[in-house]
Amino acid sequence: MLWKLAWRNLWRNRVRTWLSALVIAIGLVALIFIDTMMVGMTTNMLKNATDSLMGHAQMHALGFRDEYDVKLTIKNLDETLEQLRKDPELTVLSQRAMTQAMLSSSGGGEPVLSLGVDPTEENLLSKFDEAIIEGEYLDSVSGKKMILGWKVAEKLELILGERLVLTAVDAESGEMAQSLFRLSGIFKTGEEQMDASMVLVPRQTLQKMLKLGGRIHEIALRYKNLTPAGIPLRPLTQPAKSSGNELLLWTELMPSLYMITQMTDLSMAIMGIILFLIIALGVTNTLLMGLYERMFEFGVIKSIGTTPWQAARLMLYEAICLGFLSIVAGLILAVLAIALFAIYGIDYTGIEFSGVTFQEKIYPSFKWDRLFIYPFLSMSFTLLAAVYPAFKLWYMLPIEALRKRKL
Amino acid sequence: MAEIVINTKNLDKSFGSGETEIHALKDVNLEIMRGDFAAIVGPSGSGKTTLLNILCGLDTVSSGEIQVSGRSLQSMSGSELAQFRREHIGLVFQAYNLIPVLTVLENIEYVMLLQNVPSAERKERVRKFLTEVGLEGKENRFPAELSGGQQQRVAIARAMVSHPDIILADEPTANLDSETGAQLLDMMRKFNEELNMTFVFSTHDPQIMERAKRLVTLTDGQIVSDELK
Repeated sequence: MLWKLAWRNLWRNRVRTWLSALVIAIGLVALIFIDTMMVGMTTNMLKNATDSLMGHAQMHALGFRDEYDVKLTIKNLDETLEQLRKDPELTVLSQRAMTQAMLSSSGGGEPVLSLGVDPTEENLLSKFDEAIIEGEYLDSVSGKKMILGWKVAEKLELILGERLVLTAVDAESGEMAQSLFRLSGIFKTGEEQMDASMVLVPRQTLQKMLKLGGRIHEIALRYKNLTPAGIPLRPLTQPAKSSGNELLLWTELMPSLYMITQMTDLSMAIMGIILFLIIALGVTNTLLMGLYERMFEFGVIKSIGTTPWQAARLMLYEAICLGFLSIVAGLILAVLAIALFAIYGIDYTGIEFSGVTFQEKIYPSFKWDRLFIYPFLSMSFTLLAAVYPAFKLWYMLPIEALRKRKL
Repeated sequence: MAEIVINTKNLDKSFGSGETEIHALKDVNLEIMRGDFAAIVGPSGSGKTTLLNILCGLDTVSSGEIQVSGRSLQSMSGSELAQFRREHIGLVFQAYNLIPVLTVLENIEYVMLLQNVPSAERKERVRKFLTEVGLEGKENRFPAELSGGQQQRVAIARAMVSHPDIILADEPTANLDSETGAQLLDMMRKFNEELNMTFVFSTHDPQIMERAKRLVTLTDGQIVSDELK
């Protein structure tokens, strides 16, 4: 009977009930929708970051990343490669020689980061061929072809086929070494740093120029079976400190991106709490208005034998009914909003955020648990909001309430 | 010898304090016996409603003792009082005070639901009392769909359905025309005689005074006469 009474009481002021339900529902929609978009955005950012040059992890000689010292090559390369390839979770591996260099053309010079790669191996990891906007991708691990970022090409006013000289310090004597290349392609990744300062050349050619022999500076790795946060499910086998090498996950290679993914959950939690508190105050207000409007009636039901606890329960049941109504409305609206954006997405392509450029539209990433967590929180906060009105009803003296209207 | 249902000793009730203190009831000693059909009469402000509120435990006393069905109301908590009223006292208000969102049947059933009376017995009792008050067939109407007289009949059925020891009615005919009021009073008098149900009214309705078996007159919060008719 108390449930029936609560449900019918709710509909005594339809407009107010619908408005209150709508406030809760909109809060729920906002949270579910923003959450799915945030997850979609971080997933997108993660994919863009790890599908590019970085990969999921990288191995270097200890200290190499500090100054890109050309002499700091990976120790015990063959043994290291063998160890890495043993991991069944590994899908792609790309060996790179790299150095800071000066790129010169007839039009001038520009400092660049030059990467010597095996085009086939590298393409499996960073898909540079898809970023080529002019010319063609490298076709051999040796040879004199070079591809570079479109901003470098623009600064040096380069055209395809142009001869370019790469100058860098060699690893053996520390003397300047030079090599002549021919521009075969221009890429556009959308990432400022890569487009403005990176050149790719065949690995063996760069190794020869830098007098590295077969040595390399970096191994980029990609794995399968990742956690939702983009971390390999099976922990990677870290090389011993004594090996002189280090294996770094993308979380360490790009800490700012990692921080953003971590902050997403925190910011959602903060936003959720603020939003639910506002909703809770609205619900408290609605229930209190109902309580004051029906004070006399509550006096009657208490006077004919309703105990304080039963009266308080009546208020809580009203809140539960309101919460249930809001959750149903909120879930319907949220699913509609997500479905709509799952089709059309939000177009942030080309926009760089925290070192990562969005390469494709952002689509909501739907997590089923959110359909339970947020409604549960909605109901909890709605109930929390009903505690004060229920408390007032508990302690309300029937005689005081009956005096609100002449008997 | 008839059983005492209500027994008050030296009841005092005052509002305010100091110079603004008002004595609503002074030294009220009253015994209501099972089967009484008593009217508490007196001019406005004489303390009739206050006394009725105290008798059903809705209001507290400033001093004195009050026992209903052998139990002292002063020692009970709010929750105990609610349960006590539910089990032992039926209340009829001047303005009917039915729950507007519940149907006639649900209004009558409400107290029995709080008492956890089994469904079949509830339905049976509701049917019986609806017939008694002449409202059979109106079970599913809402209070707003009934006349004042019909609503008060529902209120009487609600008060009686849980078989309380006493029905306290605060000016039950004040909002009704005299004919409807008379019919209701005859109906209550019938219940009193046939079921030996105890009724106490506060009123200044001459019709009630006429039909009452006992008249308790209050003036300025004091019982000035208590006569059996």
